[in-house]
Amino acid sequence: MSLSFMWRAFYPMLLCLALAVPANADMVFVLNSGDASISVLDARERSELRRMPALREVHHAVLTPDGSTLVVGDSGGNELIFLDPSTGELRNRVRVSNPYHLEYSPDGKYLVVASLRRDQVDIYDAGTMALLGRLQQPDKPSHIAFSPDSRFVYVTLQGTGEVVAIDLSTRAAAWTVAVGPEPAGIIWHRGRLIIGLMGSTDFVQLDPTTKAVSRAFSVGRGAHVVVPSPDGRSLYATARVESGLWEVDAETLEVKRRFDVPGGPDCISFDPDGRLWMTLRWLGRVGVLDPRTGTLEQIRVGRSPHGIFVMPRRDGMRADFAAIMPGAVSGSRPLPRPLQARQGEIPADRPVPPVMSAAPSLAPGPSVQPTRNSRRAGLDMPILTVTPVRVETFR
Amino acid sequence: MEFFEDHYLRLVTFLFEGAVQPALYHLGLMEWAEDGYDWLDFFLFGLLQVGVVYVICRPLEAWRPVERGQSARAVRTDVVYTLLARLGLLPLLGFVLFAATQVRLEALVADSGWIPPTLEGVFPSLRETPLLAFAVYVVVLDFFEYWRHRFQHEWRWWWSLHAIHHAQVHMTFWTDDRNHVLDEVLAAAWLAGLAVLLGVPPGQFPIILMVLRLAESVSHANARIHFGWLGERLLVSPRFHRLHHGVLSIGASGKNYAVLLPIWDWVFGTADFRRDAFPHTGAPGTPEAYSRGGWLRQQIEGVRQLARVLRGRGEKPQAPRVPAE
Repeated sequence: MSLSFMWRAFYPMLLCLALAVPANADMVFVLNSGDASISVLDARERSELRRMPALREVHHAVLTPDGSTLVVGDSGGNELIFLDPSTGELRNRVRVSNPYHLEYSPDGKYLVVASLRRDQVDIYDAGTMALLGRLQQPDKPSHIAFSPDSRFVYVTLQGTGEVVAIDLSTRAAAWTVAVGPEPAGIIWHRGRLIIGLMGSTDFVQLDPTTKAVSRAFSVGRGAHVVVPSPDGRSLYATARVESGLWEVDAETLEVKRRFDVPGGPDCISFDPDGRLWMTLRWLGRVGVLDPRTGTLEQIRVGRSPHGIFVMPRRDGMRADFAAIMPGAVSGSRPLPRPLQARQGEIPADRPVPPVMSAAPSLAPGPSVQPTRNSRRAGLDMPILTVTPVRVETFR
Repeated sequence: MEFFEDHYLRLVTFLFEGAVQPALYHLGLMEWAEDGYDWLDFFLFGLLQVGVVYVICRPLEAWRPVERGQSARAVRTDVVYTLLARLGLLPLLGFVLFAATQVRLEALVADSGWIPPTLEGVFPSLRETPLLAFAVYVVVLDFFEYWRHRFQHEWRWWWSLHAIHHAQVHMTFWTDDRNHVLDEVLAAAWLAGLAVLLGVPPGQFPIILMVLRLAESVSHANARIHFGWLGERLLVSPRFHRLHHGVLSIGASGKNYAVLLPIWDWVFGTADFRRDAFPHTGAPGTPEAYSRGGWLRQQIEGVRQLARVLRGRGEKPQAPRVPAE
């Protein structure tokens, strides 16, 4: 038996050992865009298990429609990396042009990739990865969201302050609407699109039928991305200049709480317990926020961490555990309705409690007075500002 | 190392969140926030680089100088070049002027169906060893830098710009960045062309980049230092590179073109490994502004000389008969 054969035989075993985490410990994948690597974290121990090399510049990651594979876009390396989310094992690599942000259509037929640097939006056949269409855009196509029927994909154009709607049946732009300065994150939410404007304090809502644009809610300066909680009760929005996280009522779009989160919170992923795992872009760390207690912990990762994905490792829980929960009808890949739980599958057992009903009592004490922020936003209602009391740093 | 990295990141974040990002917001430039962070990082890292280079090279120059009594004014000009290049002001200007063009070119390349390759794509085993991949890139790019440097000397129009680098008669470690802006633009275009053909090297090794940068500065140092028989063949030394800057080595008559690895001179027959030669530096026959002018005067004169050569009036660079020391 040759040494190389032995190495090949034992490599998977060694890989498993290297990634071995205690039973029921979730794994977290963090894309370090600044040093071309993917950190794999043990969610329970708050420690980094391994750092996997990427080629150049990894930014965003999504699950394949069947929930079996994590797809990482390496924009500088011009490739997509397909990983087994339960082990981190590499499954495949596909060469594509500059994948910055990416998302699958809810019906699973298309993968759409935005290239921020090359001003183009590519439409791929999700099954074969054949390039079906390339649409040149005026300036900086940034984030992507689909309509639940998979007919349209909406892309924010940071440079021109617009959102373009691309009809996937014709693979052509259907319309473009100005939404405000420097739009970034975008999601589908209850029949409309919610868009963060980095050049202002606002998230705006865009009705795709009437093309009407109005303010949805206001946060701090540099509004950036918004995500729905798995239980569907809240939206969580970030702002970059006033580094923080805002909890918004999903029904009324009222801002309920603010968490001060240093270091430029960016992408967010939920664990099954309702904690928010977010990349702190400028600090080279991941923040773990428990909205029930206001506790913020930090874990050191690589430089400029951007995309993040929490992989639950619990009996009866799949990578796409959120797809069977109410919040699955909102987001960048909104489902027409939450999926049916598969046999033996259990939903996340401890969803985030209703907003305000379990508002944490934290020093220096939650303010119930209108804050400078809420006044600036023109809101009459007070905003409950919560400053995380405990910031723990793990290595 | 992690301690320093951690504190460095905190400093970058503090300045970015406290000053740069709010300024971008007020100017309506938040779409450039990530680039702004990168530039701040570049600026602070450049500052750190200059500090490290100074702390190491200055004592070497004081310990064993080749030439004493150098003109402070001439050296100051080189300091200006270094600060402009290393603190990101010239690259920032280039970025502002050429970013849109670069995006269009990249889109054009992508539209053609050509996806720039990487060395790791050609040699998959490099994927799992980023440090080795980085080393391979350093060797490959150094090879192309050797040839760019030769062309700078052999093509008269290019020499009319590059001569500014060689005109310094008081060469010190500050001289490394003494390049005409158009020469820098050509270097950037050269590297961009290579990036399309070979891919760009990984950039996640700032400490190694600093060491490489330090090696290039040391090679310009006014220090009577050589690395011994073997060392001279492995890494460009102050002696090896001073011989390249010697007055007998200007224009097409040059020796020792290598930037980092002398092996290229060895392979292509341009090496001079005499360990006792520490000649005077300079480029006789070039305009007086090249050696005595300030930064702006040299830039203007460089454009003028380039225009003369392109009109066919430039003089062919000749090596005067000045004996080496």
